[in-house]
Amino acid sequence: MSPSKRADEAQGFYTGNQRIAGAFLAAALTVSLLSGCKFFKSGPETFSARLEISPVVGDQPFQLDDGSGAVSYRTASGDQFSATRLRYYLSNFRLRRADGSFYQAPLDAKSSEGYFLVDVAVPASQTFKFIDAPAGDYSGVEFLVGVDDARNSAGVQTGALDPARGMFWTWRTGYIFLSLEGQSPQSSAPQHALTFHVGGGGKDSLARQVYLPVGETPLHVRANIEPLIHLHMDVAALFHAAHDIRLAETNTVMDSAQGAVIADNAASMFRIDHIHNEPRKASHAP
Amino acid sequence: MNAVRKAVAKGWLKLPGKLKSKLWWLALPLSLFVISESGAYLRLQTFIRLHQTPQLNVPNGWPAPHYDFADNRVTPAGFELGRRLFYDPILSRDNTMACGSCHQQFAAFAHLDHRISHGIGGVNGKRNAPGLFNLAWQPNFMWDGAVHNLELQPIAPIENPIEMDEKIVHVIEKLNTDRRYPAQFRAAFGSNGIDTQRVFRALTQFMGTMVSSDSRYDQYLAGNQSFSAAEKHGLQVFREHCASCHQEPLFTDYSFRNNGLDRSPPDRGRADVTHAAADEGTFRVPSLRNIELTAPYMHDGRYATLEQVLDHYINGVQPSATLDPLLAKGIQLDAAERSDLLQFLKTLTDETFVNDPRFAETDE
Ligand code: HEC
Ligand code: HEC
Repeated sequence: MSPSKRADEAQGFYTGNQRIAGAFLAAALTVSLLSGCKFFKSGPETFSARLEISPVVGDQPFQLDDGSGAVSYRTASGDQFSATRLRYYLSNFRLRRADGSFYQAPLDAKSSEGYFLVDVAVPASQTFKFIDAPAGDYSGVEFLVGVDDARNSAGVQTGALDPARGMFWTWRTGYIFLSLEGQSPQSSAPQHALTFHVGGGGKDSLARQVYLPVGETPLHVRANIEPLIHLHMDVAALFHAAHDIRLAETNTVMDSAQGAVIADNAASMFRIDHIHNEPRKASHAP
Repeated sequence: MNAVRKAVAKGWLKLPGKLKSKLWWLALPLSLFVISESGAYLRLQTFIRLHQTPQLNVPNGWPAPHYDFADNRVTPAGFELGRRLFYDPILSRDNTMACGSCHQQFAAFAHLDHRISHGIGGVNGKRNAPGLFNLAWQPNFMWDGAVHNLELQPIAPIENPIEMDEKIVHVIEKLNTDRRYPAQFRAAFGSNGIDTQRVFRALTQFMGTMVSSDSRYDQYLAGNQSFSAAEKHGLQVFREHCASCHQEPLFTDYSFRNNGLDRSPPDRGRADVTHAAADEGTFRVPSLRNIELTAPYMHDGRYATLEQVLDHYINGVQPSATLDPLLAKGIQLDAAERSDLLQFLKTLTDETFVNDPRFAETDE
């Protein structure tokens, strides 16, 4: 078969298929337009809530270093460290209702909505709409630091979970849940490098669940209120929260045994600094 | 013809009287033509079959496949795109190395004569490139099973510094600036755009439909071909001594085992993934289909011939903490058993598969 003929066939297949796809699209569009009206919606109407994350070390703001070591911090044990890169996944957000039950937005296996890749170098990635929930008062927020097992072992994903984002192991299947790269004078690795790549699924998954109560005033999710949770992520907690880490011994972490130690610490990095129950901006109104 | 006659009889089809009588005259030459041209008809059928896009058909008696094409339906455009990608060195950093460089069709997609595959700049890896076929049935990939989804397998060679040493992001940039790829991706996936998911799914449509199930052994089981006495005896020997690990019909049970290559295995194998002491030096039981073509053998390609492999099982099994109990005493075979087993192993070669033009190298 000649190349051009084969190309023609492929083209023919495509146009035929496209016509069908077009019909489907039109149908889908109609349905989604209709379902946009409250009347056709099956579940209760939902409204967004936002999250803003500020990286800190103790009570000072945390900044990435440019590789020169100019911006450095100390761990609780006195080791010095600087980080040129700090990225992590947050997912599976749930809100706690007054009665103790949780609301979790449904996940769609075909999209990576609900999975967030936070990159300390990219301010926009540190503030996002983390959930759409029914109107109500919520007393706490729960989430995973990492990616749940189902998605961690599924086929190739898009968006925040696109393996091209550089948070996917290349020699085995699965995501790197948290990655910190930098330097420490105490590190015995070449160039005093600090490399924490934490991730791994299966029965000993390194994804860690975090629950944070919002305090006295609950989160008001309303048609006219868009609540904002302001989180602090304490980078120093990575080295001593659950397990004390000395950078002379622990400086290159790739496997799941050492990774578990860092993952436990990572779960303790987050705390709620404050919340706002702000009037929803006009553009968000339904 | 009958339908026309019926239609006429029932008065649905009104033919002028003259034509009605002529119609019968037409029937004779027409049927003569069909009979004389049935050879051409068969050739046409073969032609269509060969150029049809492969689909994942489950051969008789095989278990259900592991990979589900429901979310990645095989289409002619998608398959052909995957095929072009597989043979295109654009996936490597310096555009010198394609998947097909290390996975050659005549070697059932193993790397002929390469003990361990070397990648870009001739840098050596540490493991032998396995043949690629029946991948849709495989629950995990690589000798140590580190990869457990066929769609995500290509990231390993593409980003491995000693294989293709490239970054996915850069591959996608290169594909986007190519003259033909953007249109091919549109044809395959119905809309504009090239992303990791589309690249990997296209590759999966190609690799995942490479089914090898037409060896002489398969023909023998189906009753279409006969085995010599030696081959029949070889099959018996195989079932007695080898099939507990190299289980029919895929000729592997996909478990990880230590078949006694080393007293203290230099490559941790499965333990690289699980960090479990019990997995030290265990590797996935490889399929033995097309085994005659996929030399050299074992995860590090240490044996050049099947003779050497049999020598290993008969005389060379090394004791170690993780040696599989089935091999504790090696495998005792007399000379006749040994030579008949060897003959049987050669019936697992699938000429149809390694000559299937649909999987052949292309730059289209
Ligand atoms: C430099 C040589 C080389 C290149 C290039 C290469 N491979 Fe491989 N391939 C290998 C080796 C070696 C292994 C076994 C690695 C291991 O088990 O650790 C392998 C394993 C595989 C496997 C798993 C097979 C099994 O039975 O577990 C698949 C599938 C595969 N390669 C597909 C590809 C694809 C697709 C590409 C192109 C994107 C590619 N390979 C490029 C050498 C190569
Ligand atoms: C206890 C399980 C077990 C038994 C029994 C067994 N094998 Fe294997 N076989 C393996 C494993 C595991 C490997 C891969 C070992 C490695 O590469 O480290 C292997 C590899 C091979 C290979 C190399 C395949 C390749 O692609 O490199 C051949 C050939 C082979 N076996 C043939 C046989 C024959 C013939 C018998 C029977 C005489 C047999 N095996 C019995 C487990 C077994």
